[in-house]
Amino acid sequence: MTDTRRPGLGHACMAVLRRDLTLAWRQRGDMVLPVLYALIVTSLFPFALGPEEALLRRIAAGAVLVTVLLAMLLALDAMFRSDIEDGSLEQLMLAPQPLALMLGMKILAHWLATAVPLIVIAPLLAGMLHLPPPVIPVLLLALLLATPLLSLLGGVLVALTAGTRRSGMLLALMLLPLCVPVVIFAAGALAAAQEGLPWIAPIAWLGAALVLAVVLAPLACAAALRIALDS
Amino acid sequence: MANWIPLWLHKLSSPPVFYRFAGTLRPWAIALALVLGIVAMYGGLVLAPPDYQQGNDYRIIFIHVPSAWMSLFIYAVMGIAAFIALVWRIKLAEVVAMASAPIGAAFTFITLVTGSLWGARMWGTWWTWDARLTSELVLLFLYLGVIALYHSFEDRRQGARTAGFLALIGVVNVPIVHFSVNWWNTLHQGSTIRLLGPSTIASSMLWPLLTMMAATKFYYFASLFGRVRADLLALESGKDWVRQIAENEVRR
Amino acid sequence: MSASPSATPLLEARALSFHRQDEPVFGPLDFCLDAGELTLIEGDNGSGKTTLMRILTGLLHPEEGELFWRGQPLTWDRCSGEVVFLGHQLGLKAELSPRENLRFAIGLHGHREHSHIDDALARVGLAGYEEEPVRKLSAGQKKRVALARLLLIPAALWLLDEPYANLDRTGIELVNGLLEAHIAHGGAALVTSHGAVQFHGGEPQRIRLHD
Repeated sequence: MTDTRRPGLGHACMAVLRRDLTLAWRQRGDMVLPVLYALIVTSLFPFALGPEEALLRRIAAGAVLVTVLLAMLLALDAMFRSDIEDGSLEQLMLAPQPLALMLGMKILAHWLATAVPLIVIAPLLAGMLHLPPPVIPVLLLALLLATPLLSLLGGVLVALTAGTRRSGMLLALMLLPLCVPVVIFAAGALAAAQEGLPWIAPIAWLGAALVLAVVLAPLACAAALRIALDS
Repeated sequence: MANWIPLWLHKLSSPPVFYRFAGTLRPWAIALALVLGIVAMYGGLVLAPPDYQQGNDYRIIFIHVPSAWMSLFIYAVMGIAAFIALVWRIKLAEVVAMASAPIGAAFTFITLVTGSLWGARMWGTWWTWDARLTSELVLLFLYLGVIALYHSFEDRRQGARTAGFLALIGVVNVPIVHFSVNWWNTLHQGSTIRLLGPSTIASSMLWPLLTMMAATKFYYFASLFGRVRADLLALESGKDWVRQIAENEVRR
Repeated sequence: MSASPSATPLLEARALSFHRQDEPVFGPLDFCLDAGELTLIEGDNGSGKTTLMRILTGLLHPEEGELFWRGQPLTWDRCSGEVVFLGHQLGLKAELSPRENLRFAIGLHGHREHSHIDDALARVGLAGYEEEPVRKLSAGQKKRVALARLLLIPAALWLLDEPYANLDRTGIELVNGLLEAHIAHGGAALVTSHGAVQFHGGEPQRIRLHD
């Protein structure tokens, strides 16, 4: 029985990434939903606040940020759901590969499939609320750092709810305390940019947090999953 | 070396032993909490002089400050118990962590409400996005998240371990939130209000405060013991020691 | 390679028992499994067969008793890569074809030498279905895709939970054939079933779980 060939780490990572992206592509209708949600929410702001351009301009950055984060929350629940239901997650946990790394790949695939479309339409959302064009690059940069952070933190929480039946509201309740600092720093950078102040410090904080999360969140995710499925 | 401490702890972690231990201590904890609470109330509301700036309004600190202290203390207890539960899989630690959560949430809620009432009188606003207030609010959400996650599992032990993991994430999160809100407030100048100035507190106000802190501790232990006893009975309902207790109850 | 008589068995359980909410699921169990051995776990619905299987994979923590893998205490990382688990949930993606599903399994677990996905699919009787999405296959055909995974992934121990469910007569023959070949090559297998099962290759060890 020793005539075996173990796949290398990179090979296994690619296998997970390719499968999850293939699945996301085959069900691309699901990918459109968060984007639609973000569009609808953004278009509600002018109705609620009035079409006054100065007011909209002032809230635009924060509104887009929160809308994108909420849209991501909407899709977060699906990160491991189908894998738990069809038993793929068990197979992944039994594979001779470091689980944390494999889950990191799953989170990456999820981020690519849900957050990237949202980042792509973010300039459109910002335009709907009259965000000054010079701020848009900062918005994109903040989103590029904040959304993976949220995916990583969300991945840990989704893993914790893996053994439960329903998790939608529960996830929102659990994620809120964790995403407060993310929102604060991303919004801080945007506010500073809008006032023409240096915005690099909060972006740097976000980047530092992202580096930390990239290292720690997959490990926490794997530990959480082992606890949550231990029944 | 003092070898008896771990030995004693190990013995105490057995459910029947802790059940009896908690049952013996609980009446004492209730009595102490009541007596100290009444003494502290009398000291704080009657004996202590009115503040030269705040008049009688400041007296809410005799509730507010001990509650705020307890909200953090109980979270620390919950975090330590959750850590023990996850690493050594000790059933008692799971039960202690999960029984602490509702009590901690209640104290956090009291802190927020009393703080809000105080703020309405002192600053003329019910709420301000100060670092302490925001951290306290986030703490309440963390408590609620832990409780909700615990109850969403069918298997209570599994729920306890999973929610314990969330509690540990929160231990990391609360300082980060505090720091980030502080940073946020320096960015948005103007909305900062100093909550507790560097004023020294008179001893006539200090002793009721400290007594109330002791009273809330004893209340916590009394409440915790009651909850843990009930949870242990439910969790171990198949075991002999529970059956014996049930038989004794019936005979009486 | 034949079963070598070694001092330490592949898998050993000592006084293994499990409680759920303090209701005993199964009592103290002692058993040994050597390379080249097949063990049948029998029991009615709710007797804890699946629970036992999940404990043996290392996913579930046993409350009491000890498990040893090649003489060492069993943890999920000790035996990973040497155990294949086939459970009620087959671990197949409905939107992917059998070929894609198996390619993913190989990417994760590695594959036996001289094994090919299409050969394995042909062996389990799914030639011509390689490109069909798994969601369009019948329950029995899905099971066969999962069985093809056994042919491709290298493992010393197969843990098969109800492998006969959803299979027709030829499917049952297929499972028996796969098991016989696996045992003959020095592999070991634990199989749960609630009905009587006949094997051609010798009388297997039996573990009976009671309610």
